[in-house]
Amino acid sequence: MTSPLPLSRRQALSRVACGFGFLALAGMAAQAATRGTNPVAARAGHHRPRAKRVIFLFMGGGVSHLDSFDYKPALYANDGRMLEFLDQRAIAKTGAGATGRVMKPMWEFRQRGQSGRWVSELFPHMARHADDYCVVRSMHTEGVAHGPATLFLHTGTTNQIRPSMGSWVTYGLGSESENLPAFVALSPTMANGGPRNYGSGFLPAVFQGTAIGRSGQKAVEAALRNVRHPDLSAAAQQRQFELIRALNGEQLRARPGDRELEALASSYELAWRLQNHAPDVLDLSRESAATLALYGIGEEPTDDYGRQCLMARRLAEAGVRYIQVNYSDNTNNPAWDQHSNLPKHKDHAVRVDKPVAGLLADLKARGLLEDTIVWWGSEFGRTPYAEKNGTGRDHNPTGFSVLLAGGGFKPGFAYGETDEFGHFAVENKVHMHDLHATILHQLGLDHERLTFRHDGRDYRLTDVHGRVVHDILV
Amino acid sequence: MTATAFSRRLVRACALLAAAATTGKADEAGVDFFEKKIRPVLIERCHECHAADKKVKAGLRLDHAEGWLRGGDSGPAVIPGKPDESPLIKAIRYTKLEFEAMPPKSALPKQEVALLEEWVRRGAPAPATPAPVAGVTAGRRAMTVEEGRRFWSFIPAARPATPATDAAGWARTEIDRFIAARWKDRDLAPAPDAAPAALLRRASFDLLGLPPSPAQITAFERDPGPAAFARLVDEMLASPHFGERWGRRWLDVARFAESSGGGRTLLFKDAWRYRDYVIDAVNRDLPFDEFIREQIAGDLLPAANPAERARRLTATAFLTLGPTNYEEQNKDQLRMDVVDEQLDTLGKAFLGMTLSCARCHDHKFDPVTLRDYYGLAGILRGTHTLHNYTDNVARWVDATLPLAAEEEKALAAHEAKVATLEKQAARLRAATKAPAAKKSRSIPPGDLPGLVLDETQARVVGAWKNSQTTPGYVGEGYLSDANEGKGEKTISFTPAVPSTGRYEVRFGYTAGTNRATNVPVTILHADGEVTITVNQRKDPPAGERLLSLGQFRFEKDGQGYVLVSNEGTDGFVVVDALQLLPIDARTEAASPAAPVAAKVDPEADKRAADLRRVEAELKKLTASGPKRPLTMSVREAAGEIGDTEIRVRGIARNLGPKVPRGFLAVAHHGEAPRFRPDESGRRELADWVASEHNPLTARVTVNRVWAWLLGEGLVRSVDNFGTTGEAPTHPELLDHLALRFTAGGWSVKTLVREIMLSRVYQLSSLPGPGASERDPDNRLLSHTKRRRLEAEEIRDALLLAAGRLDLARGGPNFGATTPASEYGYVFTDVRRSVYTPAFRNRRPELFEVFDFADINAPLARRGATTVAPQALFMLNHPFVIEHARHAAERTRRETPDAADDARVAHAYRTVLGRPPREQERAVALDFLAGAPGGEAREAQWSQLHQALFASADFRYLD
Repeated sequence: MTSPLPLSRRQALSRVACGFGFLALAGMAAQAATRGTNPVAARAGHHRPRAKRVIFLFMGGGVSHLDSFDYKPALYANDGRMLEFLDQRAIAKTGAGATGRVMKPMWEFRQRGQSGRWVSELFPHMARHADDYCVVRSMHTEGVAHGPATLFLHTGTTNQIRPSMGSWVTYGLGSESENLPAFVALSPTMANGGPRNYGSGFLPAVFQGTAIGRSGQKAVEAALRNVRHPDLSAAAQQRQFELIRALNGEQLRARPGDRELEALASSYELAWRLQNHAPDVLDLSRESAATLALYGIGEEPTDDYGRQCLMARRLAEAGVRYIQVNYSDNTNNPAWDQHSNLPKHKDHAVRVDKPVAGLLADLKARGLLEDTIVWWGSEFGRTPYAEKNGTGRDHNPTGFSVLLAGGGFKPGFAYGETDEFGHFAVENKVHMHDLHATILHQLGLDHERLTFRHDGRDYRLTDVHGRVVHDILV
Repeated sequence: MTATAFSRRLVRACALLAAAATTGKADEAGVDFFEKKIRPVLIERCHECHAADKKVKAGLRLDHAEGWLRGGDSGPAVIPGKPDESPLIKAIRYTKLEFEAMPPKSALPKQEVALLEEWVRRGAPAPATPAPVAGVTAGRRAMTVEEGRRFWSFIPAARPATPATDAAGWARTEIDRFIAARWKDRDLAPAPDAAPAALLRRASFDLLGLPPSPAQITAFERDPGPAAFARLVDEMLASPHFGERWGRRWLDVARFAESSGGGRTLLFKDAWRYRDYVIDAVNRDLPFDEFIREQIAGDLLPAANPAERARRLTATAFLTLGPTNYEEQNKDQLRMDVVDEQLDTLGKAFLGMTLSCARCHDHKFDPVTLRDYYGLAGILRGTHTLHNYTDNVARWVDATLPLAAEEEKALAAHEAKVATLEKQAARLRAATKAPAAKKSRSIPPGDLPGLVLDETQARVVGAWKNSQTTPGYVGEGYLSDANEGKGEKTISFTPAVPSTGRYEVRFGYTAGTNRATNVPVTILHADGEVTITVNQRKDPPAGERLLSLGQFRFEKDGQGYVLVSNEGTDGFVVVDALQLLPIDARTEAASPAAPVAAKVDPEADKRAADLRRVEAELKKLTASGPKRPLTMSVREAAGEIGDTEIRVRGIARNLGPKVPRGFLAVAHHGEAPRFRPDESGRRELADWVASEHNPLTARVTVNRVWAWLLGEGLVRSVDNFGTTGEAPTHPELLDHLALRFTAGGWSVKTLVREIMLSRVYQLSSLPGPGASERDPDNRLLSHTKRRRLEAEEIRDALLLAAGRLDLARGGPNFGATTPASEYGYVFTDVRRSVYTPAFRNRRPELFEVFDFADINAPLARRGATTVAPQALFMLNHPFVIEHARHAAERTRRETPDAADDARVAHAYRTVLGRPPREQERAVALDFLAGAPGGEAREAQWSQLHQALFASADFRYLD
């Protein structure tokens, strides 16, 4: 969990394994250095930002771009034919490709909105917002299996221990909220890297994501941990808090001016504020019936993801910097992983379609979409061919689509192309590193300068790669 | 590509290079074609990254013939005449097959690809012009090995003169003289000695990880002084808790964990043996050089007896415990990833060096070269860490532990008996067809063939209810989720199969109309994992008692489980039993899942009865008999021993030249190492690391011990003795300690004792006058550093104060049954924290908030943050609340009939190790007196104890 903590610069240096990070941090934002104490205080980035925060709608398991946002007529023409494909799993294992049976899209495509973007019937609600988001159809990434690819999506590496994107953003920009953590993961999965996907790696622990709820638990039960005493009445808890305050005060008196003890005392003050304010942010009961309906809350099967999306909006309003909204489960073959039985994609689509559309509409109506980046996507896409004689599609890290709305991304715009079967990104390719670099850029951060010294080397989210894709920016 | 293929290609390329030079002029039409059609494409599409005046990527230049013929880091880019073999063509074909697709942003138009193919097919004609001059010179140069040898940490330690005794007579030991000698530079005076109670609390946590008892404090306060303290230190060094505390420290360095973390986290069910090995080694004061040798090469070392052999095998788990992503599909990559992780751990743990940087290129800052890296990698590549390098989900190497002769004899007899019965069973099974199911209320598990696990043998997470409502269950009944708490309940079976092979997995449940139609059942088998959805409203097919989920391969002693979850289910989920039917060649053909026609056959009935009898006997025998213990280990890679190739840019399949196995050149003095021809070289590596002539190992080790006692190392970057690390604050003292350590037989206990008895250890943590200004970071150690307790110490101290700490030592600690996975694991035991299952993705919340080590990488120093979640944990977490209640109860028990203020004093001594100050006593008494009417007294006392746990002095050592 991240919360502001008062630390002197020297203390900060003496406490983290590698103190240079804080120096770098202080150097990056002079005002933080002079004010001196709070490593998660809001600070300016490297250049003027176009967006203040990110809402990442993570579709765990791999949504099929071929059945949703990447329209490929060749799939209809070749449906059922056995063709040679450079299957990435086969290549990783054997160094050679494999034969697959071409499978046409299972949902009908139509052109939508003024922009005429192709969107299938899989996402009818999101289709109505086709003019609001930018589709990048030429994504490619690393990792053929869920674990490596999910870690790559969130941390920029398949197998090393690195900070997650949200923690890099928090490290770079700090928090806008006094009472809330800067980086929240709603209902994260425990599989495929689990906490590493919102962890801080070698960055100081203050920058790690705070999980609210977990995959498999109903969103209505999701809450911040330890903000309520299980037994005591509010009055009794107030009394106990006063006692702790008094005892710590006495101990401080024995070591006047001790910064560590002062930090400890103020951590209790902050905890007390968090305890008294944070639960309100997650309380949806004060939202209007119209808003609840917009997100599909109170009806099945949209209630759960609808709640997550609405909580995301409330957290965004309250100043949370990076919000992961996870649609996944705890298995190693997560939700969207339809190796067989592709029609099951629809079961997942109906759960997220209306909530996502509702979130876009709500953010837009409140003027929040201007400075909020909404990123919708998976760790990879799916293949144009069926596995063996199966009824589903395998993993495809070489070509897939993501959606980007708000935050200065070109609305109603499509960028990049995959090949005629939608297998490989071939034109205006955007690597996951590039996407990371571009999102950081919109937040006012230069991915090549957002570094942290660890093990004697300056590390970046984008390693030694990544380029900002200016073509998709307003 | 193999090494020979690479050198073949190199030879061919060189030959062609010569040929191109001679034939270049003759092919004028070809050159014309190049200038008109090819050069423009290269300029437009490639020169941005592959020409002079640019930062050349991958060392490849495409602005002159020699550039593509000689090629870049990956060797020649163009093989004239052979487009299909030319890396350049492979890259632009955009297949990502061997080479990164190029250009990175977009594929070339098809006609341009065709042009380039044609050009190569025509022999890649081009003018023989020299390379355009690069406008940019090479980047910054790394420190050379020669320069490195003059860097302080690579210079062998030299015996320093001990500074003369200080005038004030402050110093008590040699260490003190080294420290005190530096104070006059900055006009510093030492802080006063710590108060006896504070010193004892500090020493006790530092050595044992536990607070002293109130009685010990009273005794030491009555009789303080160096002699009494020395006696206490000796007692603590002899305590088995010393190994638990200091073993834990090494476990951090060894990134010890009991699951793999990463993508698909697997349980390390035998990792506890390594944990116990470490604790035992510390308690026996195993010489540290031996400790190193055993961990790197224990499997190769001779052993005097089976117990020693077992210990040495177990030590090598050090190499295996990394956070490996076993599902990585590129197995060459996986293999080199494992080697890299081992080198990273080994480098940091023993040498204080970050070697990983040299995986892709010479280290940018330290004198560590690619050759050094792949010289070391050759040693570890000649070692198998994984069972094989082909499985979909890989597995580590397990070694069977040798047993004492007696045990071995008993086990062999047992195994022979099992084998005979298995053979008998297989014969009968082949001749018998499964009897038709009959619906009786209960089926005895013994009546079913194969391996049968009833729900009572499963690991249950969440509140499941016992039920017998619907008949037809196996054994005593079945479990139901009561259609509540969806996503919070799982049941897992971990079948221990008697032998490796294929098994039919059958799932037992009682069908009904209120059941769920979509119960996810996950099977982790030897070749991967599959989740099957079961409709529990339907009975298994006619004639079957249990539902067949398919046939899967399971390995003896391998990972494998069947996990039933109620996540996302739409009705009652019930779990009754699991059956694993071994499939041998004969029965497999007979499709065991097919329903069987009922036929009267007395012979068959007898065979079926025999089979039931044999299988029941087998079951009993395997359940009760001795098991062969396993440990995580490594083994020599027979047939693959020898040098390995440089992986160009760190890409596993991109082979460069072979380099001889070796060590770190900059830290190696004397002759080039010689390796036994038939061994990986780990033994030689271990000897080199553990040598007194290695300039790094002893320094790194004594510096760690210093840091663990004084809060900061003499070299503050304890894991980094390279050029980006910090220089030692007291270089002479560091060498003094290192030399004494190696000369004295690498005894850690002796070193710890020496530091503990120094006066500098025993200083107060309050800075002396002016110290904070003149030495703000306390680099000259004029006072000690106050230390926050680590997560384990906080948990153990809380449990101890509550009178609930279970001091049982060693052994596995996953609970009565091994869980299928760390997910959903509930931490309930009250043993010392060193035994708390050390999962990578799941840990007790207390560990999370109090900076428990990130056990994905070696770590010698924990963070010690102060954040609000810690405060929230102390205010509201049930663990704290419950133990505060126990502690209050204990205080009441231990002070019967005492007045409130005596009781407050007792609570302070128990929880904080000191009596309350006057004002503190008043605050506590006010709180007790001010309780609103009607509130129970007990609750007030609980809250007071909780407040003490929450206070600063509980968390800090003065």
